[in-house]
Order: sequence, then C-alpha cells, then structure tokens
Amino acid sequence: MNKRRPNPKQVPDPTEPMWRSTLRVAMPLNLSYIPIGLACGILLHAAGFNTFLTGLVSLLVFSGGGQFLIATMLTINSPLLSIVLMLFFLELRYALLSSSLSPYLKGQSNRFLFIFAVSLNDENYAINYLKFATDKKWTVREALMVEHYSLLFWATSNVIGSLIGSALKIDLSVVHFALTSLFLYMIVMQLKSHLTVLICLVSAVLAAFFMIITKSTLGLVIATIVSSLIGFGLEELLQKKMPDSHWLRRLHSPGSKKSVVEHSDAN
Amino acid sequence: MNAVNNWNSTQHFWLIILGFVVAFIPRFVPLMLFTKRAIPEWFNEWMKFVPVSLFTALVVKDIFIDSSSYGLVLTNYPLMIAAVIVIYIAYRTRSMAVSVVVGLAGVFLLSMFL
Repeated sequence: MNKRRPNPKQVPDPTEPMWRSTLRVAMPLNLSYIPIGLACGILLHAAGFNTFLTGLVSLLVFSGGGQFLIATMLTINSPLLSIVLMLFFLELRYALLSSSLSPYLKGQSNRFLFIFAVSLNDENYAINYLKFATDKKWTVREALMVEHYSLLFWATSNVIGSLIGSALKIDLSVVHFALTSLFLYMIVMQLKSHLTVLICLVSAVLAAFFMIITKSTLGLVIATIVSSLIGFGLEELLQKKMPDSHWLRRLHSPGSKKSVVEHSDAN
Repeated sequence: MNAVNNWNSTQHFWLIILGFVVAFIPRFVPLMLFTKRAIPEWFNEWMKFVPVSLFTALVVKDIFIDSSSYGLVLTNYPLMIAAVIVIYIAYRTRSMAVSVVVGLAGVFLLSMFL
C-alpha cells in the first residue's frame, strides 16, 4: 500500500469542525480544572455559599485564586471591603495578561473585548498566548471558544464540589492546600531569571513582616507592591549598569514548549 | 479551619457582584486601551513582578502565618514539606493538575504521620 498516512498530531484535519478542534486544544486545561474546581466548591460551601451562588461566582469571577481567597476570608470573618480590596490586588495580575494579548486582538469591537475579558483566566491565557504566538491561523473566535470551554469545566466542577461539600464531611485544611499548591505552581512558572527568585525571597520576608505588623491581610498588599517595585527598580538598574549580570540570566526550565508563553511579558 | 461565617445569601450576592467588578476591570481596561494604542514600557516592566510577589506572599500566609492571630508559625512541617514537594513537581512536570493533586495527597499523608 502506498497510501500515505498523515500523522494525526501534526496535520490537523481541515474538515474537523471548530468546536472539536478547539476542544482538543482546551482539553488538558479542562481536565486540570476538575480537582481544583472540586476543592474550591467544597471550600465555598464550607464558607456558607449555597450551590447556586457557587455557580454564579465561578461564572462571574472565574479565578481559582480569587474564589479560594473569598472562601478563606469568609471563614475568618473578614469585612466585605477587605475581601474586595484583596481580591482586586489578586486580580490585578490580569492587567499584565490582557495587555500582552492585546496585539492579537487589535481591531475587535469593544463588545467582543468585553466578552473576551470576562472569561479570561491565567490558564486559558497561557494556551491562547501560545497559540497566537505559534499558530498563524489561530483566530480570536477560537481563542474565545477555548476560554468558554475552560469556564464551563471550571463552573461545573465548582458546583459539583459544592454538592460534595454538602454531602460529606471533609478536612478543610487539607483541601485548602490545593490553593497553596496552585500558587506554588504559578510561582514556579513565573521564575524566569535569578532576579525573580530573589524577588520571591524578598516578597516572602516582607509578607511575613507586614502581616505581623498590620495584623491583617493588608500586609499582603503592601508586600506585593513594595517587592514588585523593588524588582522593577533592580531590573532597570541592572540593565543600565551591568547588562551581563548573572541576575538577569534566564533560568533553565524543563518543558521548553511552554517557553513561548513565558516570554509573554517581554513585549 | 471552621466555618463560622454568618453572612446571608444577599450579602454573598453583593460580594460576588463586587468581586466581578474588581476581577473584570484589570482584564478589560488594558485590553480596551492597548488594542488601540501602545503599551507603556514601564507598566509592563513593573507588572511582570506583581504575580510572583503576590503568589509568594500568599503562600507565606498559608504556611507561616496563623490565620486568626497573624503571628509567625514555624512549625507547620506537613505544609512546609508538601510545599517543597509541590515546587519540585511543578518544576519537573510543569503541569498544574499534577502539582495540585500531588500537593493535596502529600499534605494529607504528611499530616497523618507528622
């Protein structure tokens, strides 16, 4: 037989409908949302959210970190303003994500940008940024579809988690570590140079210091602002004074496929 | 961690609405502005240190700060060991799901034995 068999991974079938090709792209992310979404739903239930509100917050806030934060702060009886302020600083990082995606969304209507922004998230950003950067045919509609798939899986896992939480008794301190793991994962993915490792340590010390001083999570906000400014200042200084400094050198990271995404904020 | 919250659903609802607003603004405003004009360099340079600083601060809070007294706790060995494991797994696999699942399993087993 001399019929050539195309490699299914390399050559996408042009007749494949868009909903299936985008689902294939989004699937690894969708699956990884399940354990985190379940944990988040359980915690939100323990914090007093009913199942309907758990679904609503997953659709409207759509942020693992943000929703865990809401759950944690509610269980320690933080005031509304404090929760919303903390949430704002937590979500501020999306400013970075959406500005780095903006070159690919030029010329879209404000209505489209609105819909796109609502379901933007760390992880679907990573997928879409990689696709936009490497696949010339990747369209904004496909990007939006990936966002919607991840939103669907996230909200569904949260609702199921909420139902599990109401049916079973679960050790919450263990479940809460899902968030800590998620943050640790995101830190590791952010470590791009020796300088970022240094800023990590600076932020750790400052966070402990300011939280003990202020006796509140406001310390987190102060530590974040101060250490990000230190990082910004140090990098400017190093680039001007000693551009070959080992602090600016890139860190080796396994999984080089993702490196395109890590370059994201260099534009 | 005990559920001691006594807010009602209406209060939760308003929290969600306000949460939506503060989650939406940072996603939408840069997108709206920067699809029409160039991004200021300093803004990007500064913002790229925000996530790593914030996530570290949050991890420190989870592991080393007592959630009611805000005192320093240096004896949370299960969490500390599990955190090191998660960092290693995240570095090797670069998979979010694997990192989270290993973290959960790790802290569950470690807190049984330590």
